[in-house]
Amino acid sequence: MLEINNLKCRIGDTEILRGLSLTVNAGEVHAIMGPNGSGKSTLALVIAGHEDYVVTGGDVTYNGKNLLDLDPEERAREGIFLGFQYPVEIPGVSNASLLKAAVNAKRKHQGLGEVDAFEFLKLAREKMAALNMDPKFLNRGVNEGFSGGEKKRNEILQMAMLEPSLAILDETDSGLDIDALKVVAKGINALRAPDRAIVLVTHYQRLLDYVEPDFVHVLSEGRIVRSGDKTLALELEDKGYDWVREAASA
Amino acid sequence: MKRPSLSMAGLRDAVRSMPDDSLTAIREAALANLDEHGLPTVRDEDWKYTDLSPAIDISNRWFAAGATSTSTDSLAASIEALTSSIDANWLVIANGIIDTSHYEETAGVDIGRFSDNAAPFVLDRPLADLNAALLHDGLRIRIHAATDKPIGILVVDETCEAAVVTQVSIEIEIAPGCDAQIIEYHSSTGNNDHYSNSVVALQISKAATANYVRIQNRRIGHVQTGRISITMDTDSKLAMASFDLGGGLIRNDVDIDLSHPGADANFNGLYLAGDGQHIDNHTRVDHRVGPATSSQEYRGILNGRSRCVWNGKAIVHAGADGSDAKQANHNLLLSDKAEIDAKPELEIYADEVKCSHGTTIGQLDDAALFYLRSRGLDRQQATHILTRAFAADLVSRTPIPQALETITALVDARLAELIQDGMS
Amino acid sequence: MTSQNIESFVNQRYQHGFVTDIATESLPPGLDEGVVRAISARKDEPEFMLEWRLQAYRQWLDMKEPKWPHLHYKPVKFDEISYYAAPKSDADRPKSLDEVDPKLLETYEKLGIPLHERAKLAGVAVDAVFDSVSVATTFKEKLFEVGVIFCSFSEAVREHPELIRKYLGSVVPRRDNFYAALNSAVFSDGSFVYIPKGVRCPMELSTYFRINAANTGQFERTLIIADEGSHVSYLEGCTAPMRDENQLHAAVVELIALKDAEIKYSTVQNWYPGDENGVGGIFNFVTKRGDCRGDNSKISWTQVETGSAITWKYPSCLLRGDNSVGAFYSVAVVNNMQQADTGTKMIHIGKNTRSTIVSKGISAGRAQNTYRGLVKVMPQAHGARNHTQCDSLLIGKQCGAHTFPYMEIKNSSAKIEHEATTSKISADQLFYCRQRGLSEEDAVNMIVNGFCREVFKELPMEFAVEAQALLNVSLEGAIG
Repeated sequence: MLEINNLKCRIGDTEILRGLSLTVNAGEVHAIMGPNGSGKSTLALVIAGHEDYVVTGGDVTYNGKNLLDLDPEERAREGIFLGFQYPVEIPGVSNASLLKAAVNAKRKHQGLGEVDAFEFLKLAREKMAALNMDPKFLNRGVNEGFSGGEKKRNEILQMAMLEPSLAILDETDSGLDIDALKVVAKGINALRAPDRAIVLVTHYQRLLDYVEPDFVHVLSEGRIVRSGDKTLALELEDKGYDWVREAASA
Repeated sequence: MKRPSLSMAGLRDAVRSMPDDSLTAIREAALANLDEHGLPTVRDEDWKYTDLSPAIDISNRWFAAGATSTSTDSLAASIEALTSSIDANWLVIANGIIDTSHYEETAGVDIGRFSDNAAPFVLDRPLADLNAALLHDGLRIRIHAATDKPIGILVVDETCEAAVVTQVSIEIEIAPGCDAQIIEYHSSTGNNDHYSNSVVALQISKAATANYVRIQNRRIGHVQTGRISITMDTDSKLAMASFDLGGGLIRNDVDIDLSHPGADANFNGLYLAGDGQHIDNHTRVDHRVGPATSSQEYRGILNGRSRCVWNGKAIVHAGADGSDAKQANHNLLLSDKAEIDAKPELEIYADEVKCSHGTTIGQLDDAALFYLRSRGLDRQQATHILTRAFAADLVSRTPIPQALETITALVDARLAELIQDGMS
Repeated sequence: MTSQNIESFVNQRYQHGFVTDIATESLPPGLDEGVVRAISARKDEPEFMLEWRLQAYRQWLDMKEPKWPHLHYKPVKFDEISYYAAPKSDADRPKSLDEVDPKLLETYEKLGIPLHERAKLAGVAVDAVFDSVSVATTFKEKLFEVGVIFCSFSEAVREHPELIRKYLGSVVPRRDNFYAALNSAVFSDGSFVYIPKGVRCPMELSTYFRINAANTGQFERTLIIADEGSHVSYLEGCTAPMRDENQLHAAVVELIALKDAEIKYSTVQNWYPGDENGVGGIFNFVTKRGDCRGDNSKISWTQVETGSAITWKYPSCLLRGDNSVGAFYSVAVVNNMQQADTGTKMIHIGKNTRSTIVSKGISAGRAQNTYRGLVKVMPQAHGARNHTQCDSLLIGKQCGAHTFPYMEIKNSSAKIEHEATTSKISADQLFYCRQRGLSEEDAVNMIVNGFCREVFKELPMEFAVEAQALLNVSLEGAIG
């Protein structure tokens, strides 16, 4: 589904990704771990098409298409979803209006008719119930005055509504208490399917107790320095990232 | 009611009666400017809420009586009391005359007078012209190293038999990288009318810091107009606190010019007004380049038949991206006769900016008053406690620790007076 | 998302810029007493009305144009304007819609304003003012059944002189300001509404103003009286053709709410704004004032201002009655070379009066947007409350956003809160929306509409939709 080959990129004059390669197939769950500043969030933003990041080398193929040619909204409509580490507040724009516009933009792209307000609300209420969210949430401004946990839950709701084929969740577990973490994990697990892939970007092992990954990769200084199965995450938890760095430079 | 206009003939006579010295040419130039432009009136937007008639009336009477300066002998006791109230190195301007006898020579500070080197200064404001026209001499202070004690400038005036007018002009330069502490303290006594007009130019050089405290505690009924113009160089800092406790008609102008990146101007003010007081604070910040920040908070407590004005203006010029300008003004009205005019203005010509202002006008919280009274305090005590808390937040931000105790005491005493007057 | 992309986004063409080819009769340019008399005669006005106009004209001669607004424009040449233009068929005024010139009907169809009976479906009664005269008022009979008078101003002068005499100029005196005085002398038509005691007007009332003729000024006058305990919601819309010269529009609107009455006045102003270089466009100098004359009365102004080259207007409330309530909700959008100096005045006079001000200013292109507002609490106005929220959104580096709020508080029991913020559409917000699949244009529209939400929710439903669409059109090309 996603094929990243020797990807290099920089922001301003700082090189962040220095030849990263990664293959993600449908049905798989990948966890990307690594110390702060290793390039985890950058990878997520580059896949989503953030224009501050300049790709200087390598290529990225998504379902056979050159992903780097596409605008951010085209990538989204093609099924790529980024759960942001810091979801932005958009005052006055209700969650409902953003979500409805997003759902319909994607449907239009797929050649499907737009959903009307009635169908939309029905669908949204179902998904919200599954995430233990108050329906009043829909009328609030996008992330406006939300707590950290509410923002993350809102990202999961959007993901559930948009049913992406590739979901990248950037530190979706950070700042969550244990109950919220369980709800978020439930939302992610509900999305697991043979035709979908999920990439979890995380600093800690904690989320992986609830969403079991097929592969774990360790990112350091803009490259994947080690890959393995879920036991790698446990090993990291135990030995810390210094161990990886040493292993990488050795 | 007909408003008096400044007697130009009287002014001319007053100017020409001053000794012929190195400032004579400047006085004449200022006189010519005034002749052309006159003084501002309430028809000028910046003077909409403040009528200068009392200042003009006092000036005209002073001209008519020969525009003489008063002796400073009887001020000795006052000067002694005031200079010992705050531990600072004091320069005194008594009845408009510079007196350096209380000042201790300090390494790192140069003291001079305008007459030493009579460079013409910028005269583009009518009250600065009036100041230059009637100025005996100005004080020039250059601070190029940090000092143990703050530099204090005490402006003290006394009137006895007749109305008096005095002018004060000070130029302060803080050298690059230097951290300076300056206190400007205005006080006055005497039973007759008095008008003091001051002009301060403060230049904060590259990476320098100015900690500045201004206290105005003139006799109720006396008139003062004062402008401080501040220019800030790259990465310089200003921390200023201003306290208006006394005076009859008071008008303060603070102008801050931010033409270099990295400047950070923080200035706050407290004004307490009771019967017969009119206190007007006008501030203007010009953000000409970014990044730079300015933030100001003014608070007022008004009682009796008083009127206060706060007009904050922040201008973000085209291209000044990265400007951050904050204005806040909060007022407590304690009496039915008190009046407040607030005008927070933003003019913005750039888009990478953060600007905000907030103004509130209200009363003491009834629930808090009731709570205190239910604990046995009478209304007056409760009011004093709550107003003190409202003021304390600003007082605590006084940037010069040596001045904090005296300011706290002065504010407290003035509040007690205000509340007592208002209740009786 | 780069700011250049943002800037390139805001510019669709003005959609109402067509000219209707219709025979027009107009007075020659210039203004003197003869012109004032001619207008009055043309309208068959009673003597008192002519006298009133002449006094206004003489007062106007002594007055000067205000110089204080934050606006720059070349002076208006008052002697080159024609002060009266009317479709020719006015000589034998249409008795019913069937007699209205089909071309006029077509014009209104193009504007999306149905004057035919099918308008009934929309539940809105419409008075259409074309150039200087009212051409059609729908649903008059139906409204008359409940006692509501909704007609052109000229008709009101003839049919209800007692109401005109009593209320005209009672809120905006003839010499209130330069433009109000000019309007008082030469106003040609407008709408008149009277809601009798205790009546809730059964439908929305609406006036659409259209300037068509070249070289003419439009000076309409609206007077709305809500008698005790009545209620009315009134909508006003305006459009004009695209012309290279600036045209003057100087209207006066007076609202009077008696005891327990409520008036909701909504405006979608879309006069031609001029082109991207600032050529042409309407100079809009308007005096709008509501008088909450009775206790417990309410007046609210809601405006969406997207048009005009120059806007100078301050819909205001005189809160005279005890417990009376005033509100001002405004969205002002300027793009290209447009300039707006707009806001409100809330004058608290009665006891326990309340006012709310919500102003949203959006600046794009090289435009300048100024909010100017006054909250004044008079000494006797015990218990006054005001809350003001004043936000500016900047799109691009060459525009300006300014706020000049005045608070003059002369009663110590007043509680006044004023907040203002300035912001831009952040790159993060745009990226977030695009990551969810929205195009850049849709993302900007959504964010701008969100910024204006508090105001749009005050508009009647059918207007809210129009306002949002208009906003999107006005900002077309501003991003990028």
